[in-house]
Amino acid sequence: MSTPKTKQAAGITERWNGLGLWARIGVSAGALIILLGIGVLVARLLTGLDPVKDFMATYPGESELPAGAPVGIPAWLGWQHFLNMFFIFLIIRSGWAVRTTKRPAAHWIRNNKGLVKTKGNPTKISLDLWFHLTLDALWVLNGIVFIIVLFATGQWMRIVPTSWDVFPNAISAGLQYLSLDWPTDNGWVNYNGLQLLTYFITVFIAAPLAIATGLRMSGAWPKNAATLNKVYPIQAARALHFPVMIYFVAFIVVHVTLVLATGALRNLNHMYASSDAVNWWGFGIFAASLVVIAAAWFLAQPLFLRPVASLMGKVTK
Amino acid sequence: MKIVVLIKQVPDTAEERTLVPATGWLDRDAADNVVDEINERALEVALRVKDADKSTEIVVLAMGPEEAAKAIRKALSMGADSGIHVLDGGLAGSDAARTAAVLAAAIRGTGADVILAGNESTDGRGGVVPAMVAEHLGLPLVGGLNAVVLGDGTVSGERSADSGSLDVTAALPAVVTVTERTAEARFPNFKGILTAKRKPVATVAAADLDVAATPARAVVLSHSERPAREAGRKIEDDGTAGTQLAGYLIENRLV
Repeated sequence: MSTPKTKQAAGITERWNGLGLWARIGVSAGALIILLGIGVLVARLLTGLDPVKDFMATYPGESELPAGAPVGIPAWLGWQHFLNMFFIFLIIRSGWAVRTTKRPAAHWIRNNKGLVKTKGNPTKISLDLWFHLTLDALWVLNGIVFIIVLFATGQWMRIVPTSWDVFPNAISAGLQYLSLDWPTDNGWVNYNGLQLLTYFITVFIAAPLAIATGLRMSGAWPKNAATLNKVYPIQAARALHFPVMIYFVAFIVVHVTLVLATGALRNLNHMYASSDAVNWWGFGIFAASLVVIAAAWFLAQPLFLRPVASLMGKVTK
Repeated sequence: MKIVVLIKQVPDTAEERTLVPATGWLDRDAADNVVDEINERALEVALRVKDADKSTEIVVLAMGPEEAAKAIRKALSMGADSGIHVLDGGLAGSDAARTAAVLAAAIRGTGADVILAGNESTDGRGGVVPAMVAEHLGLPLVGGLNAVVLGDGTVSGERSADSGSLDVTAALPAVVTVTERTAEARFPNFKGILTAKRKPVATVAAADLDVAATPARAVVLSHSERPAREAGRKIEDDGTAGTQLAGYLIENRLV
């Protein structure tokens, strides 16, 4: 250990760097709980004030939907939601493998014949990256179908803000959550402002950002387009892709927590059984979908990926 | 046709390999132990013969400590039919001559038409064991083949020479070694891994084999760690860089 030059107490940064991983996690969790506690107290204080009460009466938390907005969640949306969840889990896992694996167990090179044929020669990539890209393609396909049907059926009105009062309503909903006086859940008909904004950001900002940054880093991007690559440098994509993944993970954590904490059976019935009833059907289908994801998670290892990968190319060491 | 493939368990070349300070022997715990890649290629050559002619029988033969059983299982999961594991504490540290004598004794009982091996292992890099085995068995050695054709009682192939290449042929039985330019090894598939557990592996000790009991070991008298690389010299151009560079090259006899 080096001797400090001055006899000053260690700074926060040095102390933080001196902590082990678990100590860091513990300190972060503790700090978060304290911050949340302060937030709750401040929110309760605020919601007790008359002007804030007036504000919350004007903006109850959810904006009014346009006339003709559909009610309920149709079965196709349930399927889309399941497929999306299935892919995103495996995409995050395979992306993590691409990022952390130093010596891939196998590599893959595309057969330049058949369906996907290019002028240039295919490059050799790791099996992890092949899996990530293949899942990406399926996820994007699923997303395109989702967007088309979303706009064709008018379901878009549920997750795209249609008036500016979504922002004060989101603040109102946020205050209600934070003051532990949670807004009445009405997910079958209308989402509250905060929910609406989060879903909008996830579908229309985070997902396209993940695709744009991923595409920029992939072999499919035109490497020789000088002007384009100057405007959109690969470093920018590298810097953004990972934080977007962090956003998705944070979204999943908060989303699942709130789904389960605000009337789990009813919420699960909305998305998985297309019904507003309170029974165990939605929960059962949700549990089955988790089993499917767990099975895919287990099968996503070189031994089982190799035979699939060799259908589209050559798998080598 | 019956093919015996010699395999050796070696430390993974992708990791840092070290010697045990006291004996100078290989430290088997320092890195992951794997089937030497060149042996996987030799096995692949045999497996391709078997792919074309299902009556081919492939036996893998390894000499090594208990852990070498894993290497044999790996070869079985790739598609070999059975294994022979020469396991004997008294053979630890055997030199090439002793190893070849023991391997030859183990091969004698198998009635092999072809003995396939890699040209040299990645740990010892002696490359003499297959030739010694051939000598013990009184068989021709067809060494260092880049491409192998097995069939009809002969083995033929191409080997690199100092200038150009040679096409060589020998009558079977023969000992054949392959280079890195031969077949790229396949991955074991799920079925292979499951069936490998049921394939027979005979474990034999030196006493079970018809081989002289005289041990022969390589004794390491001294060894030292490779010194760390020294930093190079950096020449800043103050007008004389050209002269300095030329001086450096002349000084080190590089021109």
